[in-house]
Amino acid sequence: MSVITILWSMSAAACLTLATINFMVWLKDRKALANLLFSLFATGTATFAFCELRMMRAATPAEFATVLKWAHIAVWLLVVSLVGFVRFYLKAGRPWLAWMVCGLRTLALVINFLVGQNLNYREIIRLQPVSFLGETVQIAEGVPNPWMLVGQLSLAALFIFIADATITAWRRGDRHGGLAVGGGAVFFALVGTIQSVSIFWAIVRIPIVSSLSIVALVAVMGYELSSDMIHASELGRKLRESETGLHESEERMRLAIEAAGFGVLVRDFSRNEMWASDRWRALFGFSGTDRLEFDRVIQRIHPDDRDALHLVLERARSGHGVYDAEFRAVLPSGEVRWIGARGRVEFDGAGKPALARSVSHDITGQKETEREAQNLRREIAHVGRVSMMGQLASALAHEINQPLGAILRNAEAAELFLQDQSPDLEEIRAILADIRKDDQRAGNVIDRMRGLLKRQDLNKRAVDVADLVGEVAALVRSDAAVRHIKLELAVAHNLPPVFGDLVHLQQVLLNLIVNGMDALEEANREDRRVSIAAGLDGPKTIQIAVSDSGPGLPADKLAHIFDPFFTTKANGMGMGLPISHTIIVAHGGRLWAENRSEGGASFRFTLPIAEKDASQ
Amino acid sequence: MSVTVPIVHVVDDDASFLTAVSRLLRANGFSVKTYSSAHKFLAQRDADAPGCVLADLQMPEMSGLDLQAALAQTSNPLPILFLTGHGDIPSSVQAMRDGAEDFLEKRAPKEQLLDAVTRAIARDSCEREARDRQRELRVLFDTLTDREREVLAHVVQGRLNKQIAWDLGIHERTVKLHRTAITTKLQVQSVAELTHLTQEAGIFEELIHTFPKGQ
Repeated sequence: MSVITILWSMSAAACLTLATINFMVWLKDRKALANLLFSLFATGTATFAFCELRMMRAATPAEFATVLKWAHIAVWLLVVSLVGFVRFYLKAGRPWLAWMVCGLRTLALVINFLVGQNLNYREIIRLQPVSFLGETVQIAEGVPNPWMLVGQLSLAALFIFIADATITAWRRGDRHGGLAVGGGAVFFALVGTIQSVSIFWAIVRIPIVSSLSIVALVAVMGYELSSDMIHASELGRKLRESETGLHESEERMRLAIEAAGFGVLVRDFSRNEMWASDRWRALFGFSGTDRLEFDRVIQRIHPDDRDALHLVLERARSGHGVYDAEFRAVLPSGEVRWIGARGRVEFDGAGKPALARSVSHDITGQKETEREAQNLRREIAHVGRVSMMGQLASALAHEINQPLGAILRNAEAAELFLQDQSPDLEEIRAILADIRKDDQRAGNVIDRMRGLLKRQDLNKRAVDVADLVGEVAALVRSDAAVRHIKLELAVAHNLPPVFGDLVHLQQVLLNLIVNGMDALEEANREDRRVSIAAGLDGPKTIQIAVSDSGPGLPADKLAHIFDPFFTTKANGMGMGLPISHTIIVAHGGRLWAENRSEGGASFRFTLPIAEKDASQ
Repeated sequence: MSVTVPIVHVVDDDASFLTAVSRLLRANGFSVKTYSSAHKFLAQRDADAPGCVLADLQMPEMSGLDLQAALAQTSNPLPILFLTGHGDIPSSVQAMRDGAEDFLEKRAPKEQLLDAVTRAIARDSCEREARDRQRELRVLFDTLTDREREVLAHVVQGRLNKQIAWDLGIHERTVKLHRTAITTKLQVQSVAELTHLTQEAGIFEELIHTFPKGQ
């Protein structure tokens, strides 16, 4: 059998095989355009090799011409697919050059069919047998077609295009595949051009054997592609392995999460979809088949908690990234449970939120414990209030009522004695002396109370105003919540510490806040607010104001509210404000009350700022 | 039983108030005795004398409530009025439940105080009368023999002679004799009168209690 036939047939067969394989690859993965283009290139190669064989074995000049004419379709396919391959595989090359190559080659193909016998010859006059690889093959002799330059120009442009693309790929760092494919293609373009010029312009007398160099290129391209495929399959295998591992760790994670009672929620912002674990669904009272939508989920949140949750989510979405929230979920059954949720928002390349993942768990029990602790705190606060203010008040009331009672009875007796015909003046004198004595006694009691606070009870030191206000607010916060009263704090930043007794000042503040809340209670108002504001009141003074949105103080009572035993409350002792007043005065401050122009009462007191030495 | 003037016993640890209130009471015509503690009052008082007690609720050592309890144990528990510097509800409830005549603040209006004292003395007088009558009747009832008391117990239950005879295992005629003796000794005319007297003497329960013994 002829060596040429074997060589050319085998090359064609190999090319076709590679073409088929890569076509199949493309069929499975439509994005693998490089494989499709390579498949086309290999098909073109096989076709061209077939044409070459036919030409070498041509019987007549006309047959040679016809085969050459049709071979140009294969050449067109080769050029165009190579351009595409280079663009897609190397991801380089100037588009205008690519378009120029394709355009010129297409023009050449058109000319091939319109001018002369084919692109290369006006007319083939005769066939000339030559010896090639120890065999006799035919080469053509005829009038060259000058339009052939278009085709050769396209090959030269192809050479430039590929060389440019290869350099780009090389610079980019794609040293291996880029060089092999690019270099091979450059070689092909160069050889093709040279051969075309030398053969068809009758410079050398050899048969058209371009397919040999093309097959070499096919081999290089095929090798690169298949090594890519091997690499891809290797990656795929690794991915599968890691997926198995991932699945395993995911499973472990899921188990841990479920065991800890956490529910998982994933929200995809771009697709507006939500996915939740069974545990999460159970937490929020959704069945396994319920479709999850943000609006529906929000419906399950307690109305009072929605605004706060929206705010937290919005902050996380607008760049904060993470969030941590506690809220109540209201189940369809009416059951209310406390949920603690932690989440993380992931952003896409453009910085827009893409995905949010969160874990939620039931913290009802924890909340109950917290509430119990709060109740306890409140009781302690109450006891504290009672033990200090209340007990003191009760003791004072008893002590003061004794002399006052005696004065009253003595006066009444004296009145009766005076009604006698001859009043016992001695007795009346004694009575008056007793009255004077008891008055002194009552005065002493009050002085003692003041002295008590002034002398030893005040343990003064630097007290941070924000801490003072914060701690007292924390004490009454749950009480306020139960009474549906909004507690507003407005403590100016960076206030210097005041100089005073923390416990006594807490008692005063507590007393004023509770008074404010009581005022709202009696008023039964819609707008229920108690606000505590603290700020500078001069270079050496800080003022703290406790204001309420209650009915305010009656003008006629404003003057008496700091008198002992004066009270407007049904079971008030009338001692809170006098004691508070005494405490503040003992601190060198002032305590006064006023009605606010916007309604409600405001109790204000001043305290001296701690000296630098005292705060150290 | 000598007829004596009722005395208002004022008990308060506050000497000044003690003097003042006694002055007012005296000026209003009451006889007053003052004590600076509950112990002193219990030790010094004339157990039989009529009157009432006006005591401070809050006193050291023995409080007003303690005094009330101690007084209730005696044969002549005087009505007690409480005074307090500042009315506190739990102790006032306790005091009223234990039969306090009244509960007054130290600075209560004069009229309230005087009315309360007058009322307490009147109540003491009523109770005293009832107690005296009871004592007299008890002396009368003590003249009955055991058998007569036994028959009496049946009679006040409204039982017929025949039944009593059967129950006690004696002749009906004997029952009739006992009944005559009883009415003579107790100076009553009818069964109704007899029943009333028994109740007044406060021995009705006692008699009922002896009843099963006869069976």
